Amino acid sequence: MIELIDTYWLFFLVGQYPNGPLGGLSLTLILASLGLVLALPLGLLLGIARVSPFAALRWPVTAVIFVVRGTPLLMVVFWAYFSLPVLTGHKTDQFTTMLVALVVFDAVYLAEIVRAGIKSLPAGQMECARSLGLSWLGAMRLVVLPQALRHMLPSLVNQFVSTIKETSLGYIIGLTEVSFIAAQINTQVFTMPMQVYLILGLTYFTLCFGLSRFAYWLDRRFNRGASIRVAA
Amino acid sequence: MRIRSLLTFITAGVIGLAASSAYADLLADIKSKGEIVVGVLGTDEPNSFVDPKTREFIGYEVDIATAIADKLGVKPVFKQLAVAARIPEIQQGRVDLLAASLTHNKERESQVDFSLTTFVTGQKVLVKKDGGIENVADLTGKKVLTVKGGTQEPNIRKAVPNVDVVTFETTQQAFLALQQGKGVGYVNDEASLLNDHAKLGDAKKNYRILPQNISVEPLALGIKKGEASLKAAVDGVLRELEASGEAEKIFFKWYGPDTRLQFQSRDFKIDSDKIEG
Amino acid sequence: MLPNRAARQSCMPDFDPALVLAGPYHDLLVSGLKLSLQLLAITFVLSLPLATIVALLRLSPLRALRWFGCAYVESIRNVPLLAHMLFWYFGAPELYPESVKHWLYAMNIEAISAVIALTLYTSAFMSEDIRSGIRAVPAVQFEAGRAMGFGFLATMRLVILPQATRVTVPPLISQTLNLWKGTSIATVIGVSELMYQAAQVESASFRSFEAFVFATLAYLSVSLLITGAASWYQHRYPVRPT
Repeated sequence: MIELIDTYWLFFLVGQYPNGPLGGLSLTLILASLGLVLALPLGLLLGIARVSPFAALRWPVTAVIFVVRGTPLLMVVFWAYFSLPVLTGHKTDQFTTMLVALVVFDAVYLAEIVRAGIKSLPAGQMECARSLGLSWLGAMRLVVLPQALRHMLPSLVNQFVSTIKETSLGYIIGLTEVSFIAAQINTQVFTMPMQVYLILGLTYFTLCFGLSRFAYWLDRRFNRGASIRVAA
Repeated sequence: MRIRSLLTFITAGVIGLAASSAYADLLADIKSKGEIVVGVLGTDEPNSFVDPKTREFIGYEVDIATAIADKLGVKPVFKQLAVAARIPEIQQGRVDLLAASLTHNKERESQVDFSLTTFVTGQKVLVKKDGGIENVADLTGKKVLTVKGGTQEPNIRKAVPNVDVVTFETTQQAFLALQQGKGVGYVNDEASLLNDHAKLGDAKKNYRILPQNISVEPLALGIKKGEASLKAAVDGVLRELEASGEAEKIFFKWYGPDTRLQFQSRDFKIDSDKIEG
Repeated sequence: MLPNRAARQSCMPDFDPALVLAGPYHDLLVSGLKLSLQLLAITFVLSLPLATIVALLRLSPLRALRWFGCAYVESIRNVPLLAHMLFWYFGAPELYPESVKHWLYAMNIEAISAVIALTLYTSAFMSEDIRSGIRAVPAVQFEAGRAMGFGFLATMRLVILPQATRVTVPPLISQTLNLWKGTSIATVIGVSELMYQAAQVESASFRSFEAFVFATLAYLSVSLLITGAASWYQHRYPVRPT
């Protein structure tokens, strides 16, 4: 076990870098962070569209959200894999493919968090702002969102945990994130599948458990009981 | 709106993959970029695998591809692919060259172009000695393990019509599953099987490779369909490597008597891109 | 948009739905869909009681039991389903005694490992929904039950759980939707479910588009049914104000 860690720890953490592309745990973290950060603005727009009074906006967005939520992420990844080169006209690598799939998938979940965040505010907030002469968008931006976003913080951290777990699907398209590297180490060492997968599991656990405790702490600190629950 | 334009794009493009080449000539493109992207398996010892010390790809196919890149005057960039992803990757132009144990067969000729044959191997079945399997026909109705998206699965199904095949992302996962007893046989190219068998160390004596070939596989480098100048350049380099004896040297480096595969001779030449149909 | 339409039309003859609507490829995809549905049904039936037990552990008056329930939920929830699958298929069997291994391997070990991974994963999430459902029932209900002389388990069964059901069912259905999507990950350990068969059809026919359209529509249809069930339930059995 010690020998296993001793030989492969660097490979596990950074993949082939600097003799090749970055991989391993660092790639997992970069992918998850970028995925969530890029999904945020999209999720915010979709979430606002979901509660907007304009049916022409609300219905198509609701349909998109339903379609993406009803499809396994793996399927979204495959669609991204085959459609991106056509959409962009560039050769897209596994990283971009996975990133786009994560952004689309996460944005849809974030949209539901945003919607729940907005809905959790008393309707009077919007009504007061409107009666003060603000437009719907103005009221949303200046009054509703600043309050709702604060409520959403713990859910966002939890979403980050989900995103980290989702990046593991990169394994299937040959993206050298940490699960893929673990499988590769496993095939090379060959005699210790149990230990290799246990280390992989512990790595994810440490990362995600730490973050979900942080979310819990945020929740206690900011919301005192009035938090938003969205089924993941 | 988003979804509709997305769908339009997908319908427009995914099916007509070949339609979208922005550049006139892949070879010129490679030379102007100064690098050639080579798709390798990376889990296929001794053809391509990761050296645990340097964490770089090494192996027979890696050396051949590096030699080609050198002669073209460009830098090789290796990209790891799953077996099933090889043909889509080359078709979509995500890699310029495949050096990934790719079998040259008639069915695939409509999908990709092949270089001169760079290796010839039979496909065989590795079994546990106590499994009661004496020849390929004994596999009828039994569970056999192999890799997803290669020629192994269709070949074993052809050889043994009623076999139960389970496939994995890499050959090594299938091999691991055999070791754990999750099937009675593991199908792969003979060259790789010999390596896997040798890898077992002391446990080697509990396994054997069935003598019968389920097929003979000419392996070649894959090139995107219609890139005639790249194919001509690659074939040219391969002929040079063969003529100078370099190709044979690379073969013995990975397969020769000093390796665990211990091939005493090389019974093919890199001189033709024709296969028996 | 116009040039694309032209391109689409020129490619249209390439799209051949007949390929996946009948014949051997169709049969493959349908067998995959069947296996996916079986994974869904078996896992659901196993997860529900397990999740209830874990939820009760987490609410039990004994500290050790609460701790155990908590450890179960956290250790499973914080690891991706894919890693669970790889572990239960490639890793865990190393620990079993030979006889158990032989017995297991004689069956469909791929599907069994997938069901184990899916059940543990799903029940960890479901137990949290059940727990919040139970906590949504006011504490006085529990106290009243105990005051009438019922034990902890009897109070749970007769007083709390029936009331908690209405709050719990909608999130449980949403977990079932996640479970349905999760079955697709079983493809990595060689379970011949829908995703696996779609990839098979792709590599045999080089027709990725048709295979993926079929699989996507199949996943969506079942998801639609599950979501439909959730809205029907919420409409039929709304949460009673307490």
